[in-house]
Amino acid sequence: MSTTDLTPADFQQLQSGAAAAQTPRPSLSYWADAWRRLRANPRAMISMSLIVFLLAFVSIGPGLWRVDPAAQDLDQIGIGPGADRQVTLAEPFQQWQPSISDIALADNPLGLTLAMPANTQAVRLIWSEQVPQQQPQQTRYRLYRNLFAPKDTGSFGLPLAVVDRSWFEDRLDLQPGTYHYTLVALDADGAETASAVTQAVDVIRVISIAEARQRGLLDAKETAELGQSLELAWHPLGTDYLGRDMLARLMYGGQVSLFIGIFAPLAFVLLGVIYGSVSGFLGGVTDQAMMRFADFVVALPFLLFMILFKVIFGIGPGESGIWPMLVAMIILLWPAPARLVRGQILQIREEGYVSASRLLGGTTSYVVGRHMLPNTLGVILVTMTFQVPSAIFTEAFLSFIGMGVAPPTPSWGAMCNEGIKSMLTRPHELLFPAMLISITVLAFNLLGDGLRDALDARMRGSE
Amino acid sequence: MLALTKNTSPNRQLAKFFIIAFAGVAALMLTLHYAGRALSGGSSDVSAVDEAANSISILLRDEPPQLDSSRATDAISGMVLGHVMEGLVRMGLDSRLEGAVAKDWEVTPTTATFWLRDNAKWNDGQPVTAADFIFAWQTALKPETASEYAFLLFAIKKAEAVNKGELPSSALGVNAPDPYTLVIELERPVPFFDKMLVFPTFYPIREDFYAATNGRFGADADQLLYNGPFQISRWVHGSSMTFERNPHFWNQDEIHLDTIHVPYITSDGTASLNFFKDGRIASTGLQAENLTEAMRMGWQIRQHRDGTVFFLEFNHRPERLTDNLNLRRAVQRVLDMEEMVYKVTKLPGYEPGVSLFPGWLMGVSAPLREEHPPQKVVPDLTAAKGYLAAAMQELNLTEPPELVLLAGDNPISNIQSEWVQQSLKAKLGIDVKIDKQIFKQRLAKMTSGDFDLVLAGWGPDYNDPLTFGDLFASWNKNNRGRYNSAALDALIEIAQTRLEPAVRMRAFGDIQQHLIENAVLLPMYERGVTYVVDPRIRQLKRRVIGPDPDVSRAYIDSSGE
Repeated sequence: MSTTDLTPADFQQLQSGAAAAQTPRPSLSYWADAWRRLRANPRAMISMSLIVFLLAFVSIGPGLWRVDPAAQDLDQIGIGPGADRQVTLAEPFQQWQPSISDIALADNPLGLTLAMPANTQAVRLIWSEQVPQQQPQQTRYRLYRNLFAPKDTGSFGLPLAVVDRSWFEDRLDLQPGTYHYTLVALDADGAETASAVTQAVDVIRVISIAEARQRGLLDAKETAELGQSLELAWHPLGTDYLGRDMLARLMYGGQVSLFIGIFAPLAFVLLGVIYGSVSGFLGGVTDQAMMRFADFVVALPFLLFMILFKVIFGIGPGESGIWPMLVAMIILLWPAPARLVRGQILQIREEGYVSASRLLGGTTSYVVGRHMLPNTLGVILVTMTFQVPSAIFTEAFLSFIGMGVAPPTPSWGAMCNEGIKSMLTRPHELLFPAMLISITVLAFNLLGDGLRDALDARMRGSE
Repeated sequence: MLALTKNTSPNRQLAKFFIIAFAGVAALMLTLHYAGRALSGGSSDVSAVDEAANSISILLRDEPPQLDSSRATDAISGMVLGHVMEGLVRMGLDSRLEGAVAKDWEVTPTTATFWLRDNAKWNDGQPVTAADFIFAWQTALKPETASEYAFLLFAIKKAEAVNKGELPSSALGVNAPDPYTLVIELERPVPFFDKMLVFPTFYPIREDFYAATNGRFGADADQLLYNGPFQISRWVHGSSMTFERNPHFWNQDEIHLDTIHVPYITSDGTASLNFFKDGRIASTGLQAENLTEAMRMGWQIRQHRDGTVFFLEFNHRPERLTDNLNLRRAVQRVLDMEEMVYKVTKLPGYEPGVSLFPGWLMGVSAPLREEHPPQKVVPDLTAAKGYLAAAMQELNLTEPPELVLLAGDNPISNIQSEWVQQSLKAKLGIDVKIDKQIFKQRLAKMTSGDFDLVLAGWGPDYNDPLTFGDLFASWNKNNRGRYNSAALDALIEIAQTRLEPAVRMRAFGDIQQHLIENAVLLPMYERGVTYVVDPRIRQLKRRVIGPDPDVSRAYIDSSGE
C-alpha cells in the first residue's frame, strides 16, 4: 500500500469558478444533441435531402416545366422517354376518293399497291378488281396487318376489315415503322382462298402545317414547306395512355399524393399521441373509457364515412374528394397510434426515473414532456413512417373507385393504377409514379429511423 | 476481431431465417396448389381440346345470374341458354333463320302459325308441345315474374294487358289446336315476328317441372329442364360448368361434341389470355395491349363485330342545359369520333360511329346504311364555336357551361370520358365533370335523369332496324334522355305499323336524318371483338343475334394443324 504525501498546499481552498469553467465541451440541450446525432447519420441526411428534393419537385417543378398535365398529345400516345420525335410536314388529312384507273397496279397476283406514300394519317391500298380464275361476280377481300412478316397461311396478323371493293384506307393507330399488309380473297361463303398477297409498307410520321403552327412547333412567321422535318413536342419522361406529359403529371400528381401522404399521418398521429398519452397517464376508469371509445372508432368503416363526408361537404360526382378524404383519415385512423402510445406511457409511468423526477418536484407537464414523450418517440416515428405509404395508397385506391381526385387531376397512386394495365407494353407509365412513391416511402422510413435514434433519450450523448 | 464476429453472426442468422422462410412459403404454396387441385375435382386438368373425350373447354366472362329463360336479360345467360335450350326457330350457321322446334311456320299480318316437329323432346324423353311455349310466354308476362323483356311479347294479342295485370294470363292471344300446332294472334302487323323468336324469352318451359321447382326454376343444374343440344351436368356456382350432349335432342346429326367444359369463369383479360396460351381454353378475346404478342405468336386472329352501337346521349329534360339544340350541335361539331377510334381507343374492329343504325342492318335488299346513307358530320371548330355562342346567348350564360358526363367504370370508358372532357375543355372551354359509376348505378342515374351527357350503348334484340329505330320514341322506357319529338314519334309509328319494306326503310332513313340533324345523340363507334380460337376447332360461331359465342355445332378437326 503506497501512501501519498500530503502537503499543506493540498488543503487550500479552491478559487471559485476557476476549474469548473473549463468543461471539456459545451453543455448540449436535448434538441441540439439530437440534431448532432442526426447529422452524423448519413442515411438520415440523404433521406432528408430526398424529401426536400421531392417537395421542391412538386412545388417549384410546375413553375419550371410549364406543360399542362391535362393536354393530350394524341400523336405521341404512350411513348417512352427518349422516343423518336421526328415528324415530316405533309398535306392535311383529306377524305379519299380513289380513282383506280390513275394508279398503276403492282405486279403481284392481286395487284396490291400502295396508292399514296404511307404516313401516320392513313395507309391507302388499292388492288385489282377481280381474282383470276374466278367468276367476275362481286368478290370480297379480307385485309390483315402485321408487325412481323407473316410466316405461313392462317396467321396473317390482325384482321382489319372485310371489304367488297378494291381499295382500303387504314387509319387505325398508325405508328412510324414497317407494317406487313396481307390481302386475301374470299370465296362466296366468306372462307379464305389461297390467293393472298403480302406487302410491306413503311410508314412515316407526318403533321400538317396548320397543326404544327397550332401546337407551336412552327412560329407563325416561319415559312415551312412540305417534306420539311420537324420535331414533335418533347416529353422527357414520355407520355401516358392519352398522350399526356408524364413529367408534368408526376409534378402535379405529387402535390396531391404528398399532401395526403404527409398531412394525414401528421394530423392523425398527433391526435393519437395526445389521446393515447392522456389515456395512459390518467389510467384507471378514464383509461378504460377512452380505450373503449377508441375500439369503437376502429370498428367504423372507412369507406362509408368517406362517402358520408363527401355528401356532408356537398361534393358532387366528378369533383375532387381530397378534403373529405383528409378529414375521414384524421377522424378514423387515430386509434392505432393512440393505442401504441398508451401502452408505452403505461410502461414508462412505472419506471424509476419517472418516480425520481416526481420526487425531485417535476410537474406533470414536465414529466410528460421531458421523460415520457421522448421515450415514446421511437414508437411514434415508426408508426408515422408506416402511415405515409399507407395514406398514399389509400388515396390511390379511393381515386381509382372515383372517390379521390377527379380526372384529369393526376395523383401518383391513380397514375400507378392506370399504368399497371399496360405494364408489359409500356412499363414507364407504371415505373415512374411507382418509383416516386417508393422513394418517398423509403426516404420517410430512413429519416424516421434516424430520427428515432437521434431523439431516443436513452441513447443521449452516445455517438 | 470481436466486432467482426459480432456483426456477422446476426447477418448469418438473418440469411438463415430468409432461407427457412422462403422454403416454408414455397412448400406452403405447393401444398395449397395440390390441395386446391384435389378439391376442385381436377377441373384444372382439362385442356382446350380433348380429341379422345370429344370435348372442348371455353371460358365464361361471368356466371349467369340464373337460367330462367322468362327472366334472362344478359348476354351470358343468353349464351348458356342458347346451348341447352331451343326455341321455335334458331339462327343457323349461315346466319339465316331456320326451324328448330318448329318445322314450318307462316306469319300473316294478323296471325302467326307454327307447326312443331313431333320428335323434339325434353331431356327426360317427353315431347316438346305447343302448351310448353304458351306456358313460358304466359309466365314471362305475369306481373309477378317482372320480366324485363316482357315487352318483346307485346306483339301478341292482349299481351300488354296481361303484363299489366288487367287480364288473366289465359286471355293471351295464343292457342294450340293440337299439341303440335301453335297459333298466335298478333296485336298489330309485325313483319319480323319470326325473327324475334330467337330471343330466350320465347324458349319453352314445361309447366309441371316449373311448378315442381318451387320458385327455384333455373337456379341450378337440376332445376332446369333442357330441350337443346346440350344439358348442364354440373354447375359449381362462381367457378365452373359442364355441358353434356342431350341424348334426347332431336337433331343429333348436327351435334358433334360430347362435352363442353367451362373450367373458368373470369372477366380478367390477362388471365384468359394466359389460359389460352397454356392450352386450357379454346378461345379468348384480345385487348389492345395483347395484340403485338398475338402477332408474335403467329395466332390466327379473328374479328367479329358484335352489333352493339355506342353513343354519347344527351339529357333532353327541359331543366337541363343540354335541352338546348345549339349547345348539342356545338358538341356534335367538336368531337371527332374518327380521332377517338383510331388514336385513343385504338382497338381493331371498332368502326367510328356515323349513325344510330349499325352497318350490318339490312334494308330492302342492301344494307340499310347503303340504301339511306347517313349525313356526314364533319368536325368544324369554327362552326362549333358559333353554335356555342348562340347557345350561351339563348341560355343567358356569360361563361361556357359546365356539364356532367356519366360514364361506366371500365378502362375503355375511362379513356373515352377523359378524351371527351379534354376535347370539350381545350376546344370550347366547356368544363366536364366525369361521374364514374358501376353499371347498375349508371342505369339508375340514367333513368332518373341525373346527367347531362352519358356514354351509353345499345345492342340489338332482334334482327330488324326497329330494335334501334324506336329507341328515342317518347314512350320508350330506354329513352333515358327523355327525348320527346312529335315528328320523330310519327316516323317511328310508320316504321312500326306499315308492312311495305320500302316504306319502312325510308322511315328508318328519315329517323336517322332526324337524329343527326337535331343532335339527339352522337354515335361514337360500333364495337368489334378481336379474338383467337384454337385452330383445331371448327364452326365456332360468333353472332350478333343469338348465343355468342355458339359452339353447339362445333367439331374438332386436328388435320389442318
